[in-house]
Amino acid sequence: MANRRQCCPGITRRSFLADTGMGFTGLALGAMLFRDGVARAHDSAPWQPPTGQPHFTPKAKSVIWIFLCGGVSHLESFDVKPELNKYSGKSIEETPYKDVLDPKKVEKNIVGGNPSHGNRKTIMSLQTGYKTYGQSGLVVGDWFQQVGECADDIAVVRSLWTIHNDHGAQLTWQTGRHPRELEHPTIGSWVSYGLGSLNQNLPEYVVLGVPTGDCCGGAFTHGAAYLGPEYSGVRLNVDPKKPLPFISPAGGQITHEEQVENLSLLGKLNHVAGIDYPDDKDLRARIKSYELAFQMQTSIPETLQLEKESETTRQMYGIDKTETKSFGEQCLVARRLVERGVRFVQIFHGGGGGGEWDAHSEIKSNHSKLAQQVDQPIAGLLKDLRQRGLLQDTLVVFGTEFGRSPGAEGTGRDHHPQGFCAWLAGGGIKGGIVHGATDELGFHAVEHRHYVTDIHATVLHQLGLNSRKLEIPGRKRLEIDHGEAITEILT
Amino acid sequence: MLITTVKRMRVTRLLNHGALGALALAFCFSASGTPANKAALDKHYDRFLAKGLSRCTTCHLPSENKNPESLEEFPHNPFGDRLRAIRKELPQAERDIPARLQRVATEDSDGDGVANEVEILLGRNPGNAEDKPDAKEREAARARTAEFAKFLASYRWQPFDAVKRPPVPRVRNERWVRNSIDQFISAEHETRKLKPRPEASKVVLLRRVYLDVIGLSPTPVEQREFLEDKSPRAYERLVDKLLNDPRYGERWGRHWMDVWRYSDWAGWSGGNQIRDSKPHIWRWRDWIVESLNNDKGYDRMVLEMLAADELAPDDTNTLRATGYLVRNYKMLSREQWLEDTIKHTSQAFMGLTVGCAKCHDHMTDPISQAEYYQMRAIFEPHQVRTDRLPGELDLLKDGLVRVYDTATNARTFFFNRGDERKPDTNRVMNPGLPQVFHASLEPESVKLPRYTAHPDHRDFVIRDTIAASEKKIADARRELEKLKTDDAPAKREEQALKLQIAEASHGALLVVLKTEKLEKDSEEWKEAAQETSAAQRKTSALEAKVKLMEAQAAKTKAQDKVDKAEKDDSEKAKKNSEKAAKELEEATKKVTEAEKALAKAEEKVKEEPSTEFKKRSTDDYPEVSTGRRLAFAQWLSNQQNPLTARVAVNHIWLRHFGRGLVSTPENFGRSGAPPSHPQLLDWLAAEFMANGWSIKHLHRLILTSATYRMASSGDAASDAIDPDNVYLWRAPTRRMEAEIVRDNLLHVAGNLDPAMGGPDIDNTKGLTSKRRSIYLRIAPEKEVEFLKIFDGPSVTECYQRRPSVMPQQALALANSELAIAQARALAKPLSAEAAADDEFVREAFRRILARPPKAQELEACVEFLEKRVPSVEKALADTKAADTSVRARENLLLVLFNHNDFVTIR
Repeated sequence: MANRRQCCPGITRRSFLADTGMGFTGLALGAMLFRDGVARAHDSAPWQPPTGQPHFTPKAKSVIWIFLCGGVSHLESFDVKPELNKYSGKSIEETPYKDVLDPKKVEKNIVGGNPSHGNRKTIMSLQTGYKTYGQSGLVVGDWFQQVGECADDIAVVRSLWTIHNDHGAQLTWQTGRHPRELEHPTIGSWVSYGLGSLNQNLPEYVVLGVPTGDCCGGAFTHGAAYLGPEYSGVRLNVDPKKPLPFISPAGGQITHEEQVENLSLLGKLNHVAGIDYPDDKDLRARIKSYELAFQMQTSIPETLQLEKESETTRQMYGIDKTETKSFGEQCLVARRLVERGVRFVQIFHGGGGGGEWDAHSEIKSNHSKLAQQVDQPIAGLLKDLRQRGLLQDTLVVFGTEFGRSPGAEGTGRDHHPQGFCAWLAGGGIKGGIVHGATDELGFHAVEHRHYVTDIHATVLHQLGLNSRKLEIPGRKRLEIDHGEAITEILT
Repeated sequence: MLITTVKRMRVTRLLNHGALGALALAFCFSASGTPANKAALDKHYDRFLAKGLSRCTTCHLPSENKNPESLEEFPHNPFGDRLRAIRKELPQAERDIPARLQRVATEDSDGDGVANEVEILLGRNPGNAEDKPDAKEREAARARTAEFAKFLASYRWQPFDAVKRPPVPRVRNERWVRNSIDQFISAEHETRKLKPRPEASKVVLLRRVYLDVIGLSPTPVEQREFLEDKSPRAYERLVDKLLNDPRYGERWGRHWMDVWRYSDWAGWSGGNQIRDSKPHIWRWRDWIVESLNNDKGYDRMVLEMLAADELAPDDTNTLRATGYLVRNYKMLSREQWLEDTIKHTSQAFMGLTVGCAKCHDHMTDPISQAEYYQMRAIFEPHQVRTDRLPGELDLLKDGLVRVYDTATNARTFFFNRGDERKPDTNRVMNPGLPQVFHASLEPESVKLPRYTAHPDHRDFVIRDTIAASEKKIADARRELEKLKTDDAPAKREEQALKLQIAEASHGALLVVLKTEKLEKDSEEWKEAAQETSAAQRKTSALEAKVKLMEAQAAKTKAQDKVDKAEKDDSEKAKKNSEKAAKELEEATKKVTEAEKALAKAEEKVKEEPSTEFKKRSTDDYPEVSTGRRLAFAQWLSNQQNPLTARVAVNHIWLRHFGRGLVSTPENFGRSGAPPSHPQLLDWLAAEFMANGWSIKHLHRLILTSATYRMASSGDAASDAIDPDNVYLWRAPTRRMEAEIVRDNLLHVAGNLDPAMGGPDIDNTKGLTSKRRSIYLRIAPEKEVEFLKIFDGPSVTECYQRRPSVMPQQALALANSELAIAQARALAKPLSAEAAADDEFVREAFRRILARPPKAQELEACVEFLEKRVPSVEKALADTKAADTSVRARENLLLVLFNHNDFVTIR
């Protein structure tokens, strides 16, 4: 027991004062200082909360985490399977690959699966064409032609698997945990917790777009669970007039100077009150939230002023076209956020309910319509980051909760957790490579298999973080939670 | 240390479950049902029993026979043999399966050199010598055996067995104990070496209990009253006072509205298309508030919500309770509607995720897919309707929304894989309960009173109908009188006709009502019927006349247009004239039609008298109800139901301590979290039922416990052992719920409107309405943003709130119209009470934070009030709005609204 006390001392009355200072000494006292202060209080202890410094030399500073809700077909995007055309209309059992149906393999990793999904045996041909791109000769489905043009910047991981066969897997993609385990820290919150922001005026972890529906994680997909709510994602609308509610005093009834005075008094009072409750995590989070809120009043509208971008840039993201406008604006805002030091930008596409990409029927029209919304904006983002020299510091991840079945479900494809793909770009990722593989039908991940937390581990690794060092006493994580960085795709 | 272990174990288990679950699915279960012995095996080994062993072959030899009828056809393996044989060796009282299993634990029935229990714990068959653990597995056995032994010795919490009141433990820290709750809590403190925090100060406790019970902070007067009350029972008296305060119902009403998924209607404007829930469902909200205030037994509340229409069919007040079911109404999908009803009824009242069994047998709990459909059959016949209420005939404006059984012969089919498109019409499911409860459902159909089936025949509806008809005459007369003599004679004529119509239809109404009271085909009835027929014919003829006049007027207008168009030569006019000509043609046709209709109607008036007439349009419903829901609700609210009381008690506990004894209040099954204090939960459930399911009794018990009264301040030693305060060594610190934040902004400024009940207030008025938040509309897409930001309830499901801290909350409290307006409103009266700056600060702290300021705080605030901000001076000088010192005071109040202590319950 003595050992434990040593490893997790309570924060004392004295240390609270040391941490937060005895007054709201101007607004420059930002989140970073606050974080440093907390760290100082534990000088003598073996366990320390993160200092905001990476554990080793990082390759990337920020992450743009694009998440397509509902399950994008790997077969027709970045893991194209021509064999499906060859055997179209046949049952998998009639092909040389019938072994893929072995229930042991199929059910191997699925926990508490929804039995109404899976078991689609009649092969459906590819619903779009495909081409090779770049020097690397990456094969990409025609729904993603513009991302295809960036082939030499991206590393495709074709051998992912996940543990749930329903849209709760959206939560798994963010936390690495089964949806029925509910809230666990998301990858964004680990980054926010481990590194904090490079900018005191903006949140560390920003969420754009419509997050997953309540069926599938809801707010948990951008939550921080036991890390504390201050590390959870802050949702922003891209409209600078109303980026988030109550961004300025109602009716302009309070002057800026007054606000500064008010906040200064509030800081003093909260600190005094905190002396009695030095270990109150919420109090510390609230103090921080006020500092941030004040800064956000000016920094956020400024960040969202997309009209300041050149016409060429806006066109790159497709802001001039109806189909691509909405997602293009989000991608451009993402660039402006990482440019200003935001650590983690999570962009949801097709959120709400099970997710728009959930093409159980009419996959052709569903995916071609949705891909059109995102293809140019994502390609534009990659090109723009590159031309500004930001790509080397910014890790872009393109993901979805699972793939779609090689077998038909009417005119659509079913959920497919046994094998699917994602890609990464920038931030020290090798461009133009493919890592891992599924079998000929795209059914199982067979080569270099990776669970979703290996993507998390790769992200943390590139940011210079060791997830084991971030672990909180009493919150032991499993090996599988940590995952392993996919070193083969790193420069 | 233990907490860590427990958590890790749960996780491991979960991940194991995947592999084992898949294994189990590969085998086919016999269709012959579940033998009691197998259930006993499951229960004894609980989570330690690998899925692969929860099968017949654990005790029997594998058999080809799919439906064995006797032991000869399905003989035991050596383990089963032994288990059967040992029965005779044991005294009568120790012959149950758990006792026998323990007896043979260390034996080796199959002779493979490994003891039975070790084999079972390692997932190996104890009756099959070929299935045995290897050396490596056996090494792991020691830890598992020890863990299992510990499990056997622990309090066996059995949520599917009826509640038995456990003994209250004796504890060392007797001086701390105030009631039995504390003994259970203290026992855990002692095992875990936790030290309870001392009692909170009177100031802290006062605010805590006010916010907890009535959701409003104590006023300065109330503070003084309590702080000056030095009697030893001052606190207990306060608790009683608050529990009797009607605002208690509003505070706790919202809690139960979370659990019962309160939702106002959603859909499109004007109530033209109601997609979710129904208008006027606020009456159910009022029923909740009133029931809580009257301390209606929880069992009774459950009964009324599920079956008031069968229990008290003509009691309007009680019928409101069925809003619980109405809430699930879904225009677009009856399937989803029923699915939500089953899923959430199971979760809200039983903490059972029955919804999982829609598509497949439940993965972890003993609910089969067939049993899901038996539950569905309970709800299959029910529907939603709106009955008239006195004073309002228009059901869009008001009415009593309630459920009733329509289609009393509605059949429920088993849906293969839960797919509604694939009903198995050979499997008609009767209403029933999951086998695990060992109870049967025997619904008896309920004969309904006449006025329940024919609500529009109630006296007040008739009175209101006559009054509405009289009003029509009066209105028509007034319109006619308004017309001046110089108005067009045609207009006057038309209006005069309208008056005649109103009078004629009134006459028709009176006689039609007369027929309703008479025996059909009697002489009097025939006479009345003929009268009705004549009156209706007359009305029709008058109406036809008006129609003709309207048609003629339209024709004249069309003719004018044509004439005008002919005078113009332009290209545009040419087009117009074509259009006008067409219109004229149409209008002419209509006139001819109207003339014909009038002729026909007038002909009819002259015809022979007849007894055929149009009946009054009324809503009529079946005269019987299936009684299915009543039977179900009676079972649910029975003391023998193992889950109802446990789940309710847990919900109440959760809302006093921020965490349930079972931290997954919506899931008491295997996949939910095990209780932190199983004995306490069972004891509270027993206590609850023994006291007539009185919720207030439970509140009183909790609120007066030493556990509740502890301070929330920290302690390094205890924090190291139990950082999440699962074992309650201190009072939890909680953030106010969204509604309470908003209510208190208004309340501390003295602006909260105390009016109770009534229709939902438009959600766009969240920042301007002065009513309590519980009265603001909440429905899908109709939510108050301010409340959402403070983690307000999800309308679809909210078994517990998950408070967060976000900069958006800071912005809402610092910048919203609501906060600013309340700060400004409070500054004036407060300044009148306290002129001097330091007095003002003291009074402000008392009002807003319910405590006096500390010296440092006082100093900082006074300094703040004295400081002049140039930009404000300038702004104020321009507008002459207010004095700068007033402005500073307003700002001080706003700052206190933003103080961490304002939104925090300590």
